[in-house]
Amino acid sequence: MKNETPHGPERRGVRHRLRQLRVTLWTLIVPPSVWAVHFLFCYLWVAVSCAKLGAFPRFTVAFVIGTLVAEAIILASGWIAWVQTRTPGDPAPHDQGTDIDRLRFLAVSTLLLAGLSFVAVIFTAVPALMLTDCR
Amino acid sequence: MSLHAQDDPALRAAQEERLRAVWKPPTGWFFRWTDTNNNQVGVWYTLTAFGFMLFAGVLAMIMRAQLAVPENDLVSPATFNQLFTLHGSMMMFLFAVPMFEAVSIILLPQLLGARDLPFPRLSAFGYWSFLIGGVFVTGSIFFNVAPDGGWFMYPPFTTRTDLSGLGADIWMLGLSFIEVSSVAAAVELIVGVLKCRPPGMRLNLMPLYAWYILVVAVMILFAFPPLIAGDVLFEMERLLGWPFFDQAKGGDPILWQHLFWIFGHPEVYIVFLPSIALFAMIVPTFARRHLLGYPWIVLAAVGTAFLSFGLWVHHMFTTGLPKISLAFFSAASEAVAIPTGIQIFAFIATLWAGRVVWSTPLLYVTGSLAIFVIGGLTGVMVAIAPFDWQAHDTYFIVAHLHYVLIGGTLIPLFGGLYYYWPLITGKKLSDQLGRTAFWFLFVGANLTFFPMHFSGLLGMPRRVFTYPAELGIGGLNMASTIGSWVFATGVAIVCVDLALSPRRRKSPRNPWAAGTLEWLAHPDDEDWGIRSVPLIESRYPIWDQTDFVKKVDEGRFFLPDAEEGRRETIVTSVLDARPVQVVRLGGPSIKPMLTAIALGSVFILTTYHLYWAALVGAVATLGMVLWWLWTGTAEIPEKDSKPIGHGIELPLYISGASASGWWAMFITMMADATAFSGLVFGYFFFWTRHEDFPPSGVGLDGPGAFWPMVALAVSLAGWLMTIAARETNRRGMVGAARALLALGAVASLAAIGAGLAGPWLSGLAPKLHVYPAIVWTLVIWTTAHAGVGAIMQLYTLARSLAGKMTPKYDADVRNITVYQHFMALTALVTYATIGLFPGAA
Amino acid sequence: MVLGAVVIAAAVGGLMFAAQRSREGALTHQQGMRLVLWAGGVVPTVVLLTLLIATLPAMRPIAVKPDDLRVTVTGEQFWWRVRYQPAGQAAIDDSNELRVPVGRNVELLLEAGDVLHSFWVPGLAGKLDMVPGRTNKLVVHATRAGRFRGQCAEFCGLSHALMAFDVVAMEPAAFDAWLAARRTPAPVGGDGARLFAANGCGGCHTVAGVSEAAIGPNLTHLGSRASLGAGMQRRTHANLVRFIKQAPTVKPGARMPAYPQLTNEDAATIARWLEQSK
Repeated sequence: MKNETPHGPERRGVRHRLRQLRVTLWTLIVPPSVWAVHFLFCYLWVAVSCAKLGAFPRFTVAFVIGTLVAEAIILASGWIAWVQTRTPGDPAPHDQGTDIDRLRFLAVSTLLLAGLSFVAVIFTAVPALMLTDCR
Repeated sequence: MSLHAQDDPALRAAQEERLRAVWKPPTGWFFRWTDTNNNQVGVWYTLTAFGFMLFAGVLAMIMRAQLAVPENDLVSPATFNQLFTLHGSMMMFLFAVPMFEAVSIILLPQLLGARDLPFPRLSAFGYWSFLIGGVFVTGSIFFNVAPDGGWFMYPPFTTRTDLSGLGADIWMLGLSFIEVSSVAAAVELIVGVLKCRPPGMRLNLMPLYAWYILVVAVMILFAFPPLIAGDVLFEMERLLGWPFFDQAKGGDPILWQHLFWIFGHPEVYIVFLPSIALFAMIVPTFARRHLLGYPWIVLAAVGTAFLSFGLWVHHMFTTGLPKISLAFFSAASEAVAIPTGIQIFAFIATLWAGRVVWSTPLLYVTGSLAIFVIGGLTGVMVAIAPFDWQAHDTYFIVAHLHYVLIGGTLIPLFGGLYYYWPLITGKKLSDQLGRTAFWFLFVGANLTFFPMHFSGLLGMPRRVFTYPAELGIGGLNMASTIGSWVFATGVAIVCVDLALSPRRRKSPRNPWAAGTLEWLAHPDDEDWGIRSVPLIESRYPIWDQTDFVKKVDEGRFFLPDAEEGRRETIVTSVLDARPVQVVRLGGPSIKPMLTAIALGSVFILTTYHLYWAALVGAVATLGMVLWWLWTGTAEIPEKDSKPIGHGIELPLYISGASASGWWAMFITMMADATAFSGLVFGYFFFWTRHEDFPPSGVGLDGPGAFWPMVALAVSLAGWLMTIAARETNRRGMVGAARALLALGAVASLAAIGAGLAGPWLSGLAPKLHVYPAIVWTLVIWTTAHAGVGAIMQLYTLARSLAGKMTPKYDADVRNITVYQHFMALTALVTYATIGLFPGAA
Repeated sequence: MVLGAVVIAAAVGGLMFAAQRSREGALTHQQGMRLVLWAGGVVPTVVLLTLLIATLPAMRPIAVKPDDLRVTVTGEQFWWRVRYQPAGQAAIDDSNELRVPVGRNVELLLEAGDVLHSFWVPGLAGKLDMVPGRTNKLVVHATRAGRFRGQCAEFCGLSHALMAFDVVAMEPAAFDAWLAARRTPAPVGGDGARLFAANGCGGCHTVAGVSEAAIGPNLTHLGSRASLGAGMQRRTHANLVRFIKQAPTVKPGARMPAYPQLTNEDAATIARWLEQSK
């Protein structure tokens, strides 16, 4: 997942502010948590529709928007993390006992998790595109 | 004291003498068992789990003997059913999970340069619970009443008291007891990793083992509680006749399968990831370099943990759920292979980049990865539903799961045994015997389980005590049986090697020349854990930090002394490991053991329907716990702070979100909330199963909205009063705080009455139908929590009156406030669900 | 798929071996990270996603039409209740044997009478569980005539291992004729029938024209089945006599009691009588 980072002077402010958003253990689990919510949403939506209505509507606005929102949040947290991995400092591996290395380690981990979560959301969405009924 | 002071050998000797005295294990034929030090408890725990593994292995050997030839009659079907149920249950509940916890109890403090885990008495309690529960469950086979419903205990076969006897209760109650101890250990390990690291060991410097343990312990926290919720429903049906799984009264056996596998699939990763954690320690040591791709490994661990909770329905592919539902889980089951692949390639890349030193542990790592990869690939196959419809519940799955568990748990543990034995005993095991054993294990595992892929696809279902000759699988089964003997020979060689160990000479310190902290351990083991708590600047401090071992040994780092004669360790901050407190740890005590015995008696007496005796046991347990807490926790120190060296002065008492006790409460309540959500899931599950839910009729009409709303209001009042008590106490208004605590307790007690009034006054009859049963269950769960809340409020009030809690030393009220937050949430969900859900009012 | 698995296993194994033999620094940090990213991350992702997309369509069940044959199969401890429901005709009951026409879709409605069972005929279709309180639908389509072995695949108690059955796929014309014949079984009288009634066998078993009960398997057409005791043994006269006299020994956990008081001659008479009923 490669994001083009804009370099315009007006965007520097945003990037600077993003770098202020420190990654922590809690932000680390944002991307996989989004996957989990999306997964549960898909499963429960289909399970309840099938059990109570006997069918589920395809491509409901809720499903499409839900999936897009999930991917957007994952991309956003991945992008924030990516910006933070670019915090200047020594080259990889970031295994020094400094604030910056700890930050960049968490940022890299978050970025990788965002990548995995992004793919996993696609995996979850595929069945809803390919199977069409409750049987 | 300055660096300079540590130059004085006399001072060092005096410090060592004090440390030795403080950490001296209790002696005497009985009192030696009251020790709580992780070095002792961890070893007992490991040996016990190892013993259960050998026992469960013998059960498997008997099964293989029975299945060697078609239509054999070596054991009766009744015995056979007990054998496979106990084999699976023991390997999972009494070996794989406890073994990881046991090993972690030994290793974690060493890895983190801590003197002990934050709650040593909790570890001891966990061990005694494990021992009692394990012996209770295992012993049942000698009385021919062992559980015989399969390790998954699917109702209605197991819930119908006319079809299954005492064994089902023994399984359910005995293992519930062990699940409690597993959750206790998980709390301990999470707090240990987050709060007890040495100064400077930031998150990016943590040994990968600690990362894995953190991840796995969090998984336990979310995986075990749904099973505990399931156990509650299960026993309510067996003992009281509440029809959760009885379709004739609106129940559904599928609910159990959901709850069981929400536990059961993460469980697979719970037992697999710790082995990967061992690899992550062993591989860098023998590649003589840092592990390549540290953040990738963290990604893989965290990613696997999350994805593993989206797999549970792949155990239910053949239950007839809508195909689209299956497909979601099929997708997640494939996705979970990605992080696993990343981990394996990180190890390969590390070995590739490094200078490989051949050794017995590395042989085990390589061999087990080879076996695991085959298991992983068949796992990808069975993740594809149409393939699984053939393979499911056949010997193909038996082959798959044993490849995964032997390659992913058992052989790595043997590798870990060869690697860490010198750490525990100061002596190396025999390379010769180790390698011989490895080849027996490797060949045996493949010879046993590879043919099973074929016998399964040829039509041999699981859990059969025999098979007809015309199926043509006699040869394959004979091969499997021979293989099992080869495998057992390997295990026997390992046991011989262990038995010879006491006669061997001590090996040098750090015999593998490893780089991580745990290898500071000295062959002539001292019980204090670590001489002084180091400042960490690298992931491999022994390799990278100059004079590291010498500085630790000479007490030149932190906390080199025990001036006040107390067991102590350092608490640090979560992200950057900045020291925040010197925490005083509980020493040897008989309380954990007695509490475990009392709690065990509750479960065991309930199994035999001795309810009054069980109630006595429950009261005794409560008394023990209060005694334990009153005498052992939130102790006000004799001085505010103490120096730990290098001019750093740390407080001896902290409360709130930086204290380990607060974290323990928070984490425990996360587990509690997860169990509760399992019950709520049950309510909505039944709603999807019925056209009319809630149903109507005598004994079926809902509790109305009035009483649930009253109960909610009173519960929330109790919650607010507790918060107010915390705030007034903090501001020094002790009288107001005491009054608020008392009022809060009254509110909690009133919430019990108001909560029960709803279903009671509307005459909900739980034996009639699943709706009243689930409503009663939710209400009982919530009111029981209100009761515990009231006890906590009164306890805190008593602490305040006794002068054990003051405005400054206020951990008690802060911790029970955390409980009350969760309590308020529980009340909100319960009363909104039963009172406001469409049709319930 | 199997081939792919073998290739992957061999590749990982080979790489593992090569990695351990390689000299120090054979792989730089950068190259190592690239290996992890591509071999560990990207390639598996692509392979798995392709596999998922390729196999999902196979999950779609075969569609059935309203006039296709429906058969309800109910799992019991430890046998199978079978009820043919041809469209627009009365149902026909049988036990422990399922016959299907070749080339036609048959919808099986799977239910459970007591505990969980699972319906599995490896040669015909994947398995599907039988769950009390639910009806699971499995559509089968036999492509060749012949005999298939079916087996309970969900652990259900003592004789789970002995809970099998036969599936006979017949040419459509033969099947139709067979089903029509089933509709009018010819009652067979004689000593066997008398003993059958006198010993209370009719309290549990149906034999058309003699008794009607649904506790145990329907024995009307026992003489036409190849196996005995739900596919657990060949149907020979000796086996049948033994089953009649000592069912709990032959089939542990079966609800049929032993008949030690029954003489061997009487048991043989009942057995011969049951064998005549085709």
